[in-house]
Amino acid sequence: MKAIDLDSIKAAWKIERSFEDHKLSEADIQGFLSGKSKDISQLFRKGLIFDIVLKSVVGVSLIGVFFLLRANQSIILVSSILMLILWAIRYQWLMIARIPKATASDPVFRTSLENKVKFYHQHFRKSLYVGALSNSLFILSGMLYYFYFKYGEIRQFTWDDYLVFGVTIIIGFALGAYAQIAHHNFQVKQLESCLKEIDEESMSALTLREQRIKKRRLILIFLLALICGLLLLAFFIFK
Amino acid sequence: MAHERTHQHFLELIHRHQSIIHKICFVYCKSRPDREDLQQEIILQLWKSYPSFQGNAAFSTWMYRVALNTAINQTKRPGLLFDSSSSPEIPYDPSNFYDLSEEIQILYRAISQLRKVEKAIILLWLEEKTYEEIAESIGISVKNVSVKLVRIRTRLAEIIQKLQ
Repeated sequence: MKAIDLDSIKAAWKIERSFEDHKLSEADIQGFLSGKSKDISQLFRKGLIFDIVLKSVVGVSLIGVFFLLRANQSIILVSSILMLILWAIRYQWLMIARIPKATASDPVFRTSLENKVKFYHQHFRKSLYVGALSNSLFILSGMLYYFYFKYGEIRQFTWDDYLVFGVTIIIGFALGAYAQIAHHNFQVKQLESCLKEIDEESMSALTLREQRIKKRRLILIFLLALICGLLLLAFFIFK
Repeated sequence: MAHERTHQHFLELIHRHQSIIHKICFVYCKSRPDREDLQQEIILQLWKSYPSFQGNAAFSTWMYRVALNTAINQTKRPGLLFDSSSSPEIPYDPSNFYDLSEEIQILYRAISQLRKVEKAIILLWLEEKTYEEIAESIGISVKNVSVKLVRIRTRLAEIIQKLQ
């Protein structure tokens, strides 16, 4: 078998000029400049901004409930939820300021990878739980409107009310947190594997068996969520 | 006015040195849409980082660093339900090779089979950067660079042999 001479290939690489005939024009480059970055820091930022907007919408709808129920005892509950929303928005807002800059100007590749991975594990993961609160707050706000339009007040809860609304709120939070964390973990793991590669640690490549287990677990979670949803629907229909 | 001059100067520099971007995109992406996405991300990052370019190093050296850093930091998005990393490997589309010589086409195919950081190291080696420069860019010791390069070159030669 013929030995490969990498040095001669390197020399051929140096004189290769094919790309010169396929140059981008200045207008093409300008077009790229007006596009949007898909860097992971931008993903963090977009997620936080989306959550702030969502919480603001829920907050505004709750201000509506506040005025509708202002002569009612339930005003304490509504005020508490509004305070929680304000705290969550402030938390997410401060998190935006902590995001590592989305520029690749850092001269050392390891540093820019480390900054992003560190930010994710030390700060951003916590904000995903705060983000998942939006689902629960959305359900809670809808529930308050439902009570107002059906009874004109927030009536006394019975045990089955606690069960149904409690489970719905918890499922909303859990699903939101799970989806967000799984989505971000998938991307951060790619950065972590680069860091491991730099450090020459053996990369833990997923085996086919692990992949299969992962798929089964996902199907099971989606089936459970579907069954819970159908049970709740049946409860509302046949109540 | 000054901003416009800077902007124009930047466009001229990118236009002049854009083969660096093409090379990196060919190594890191196999399909045309992925390459266009990476091209856009690199150009955006170069523009954002441009104010930090001091002019101490050659523009091409600085551009190589920013572009490689962007390529390494690029992440795939997950599939809707299943892990997209488990989907079958996309083969290189040969029609996208422009009119590159067969030897260089094989080299690109071989490099594309390396891991992300290995690709960066071999690209810097092909561009005749010194071990010190490579070590400084990656954030490892010079000794580590030489060990890695021996291993990567051996692996690359094996892949090229299989592809020929």
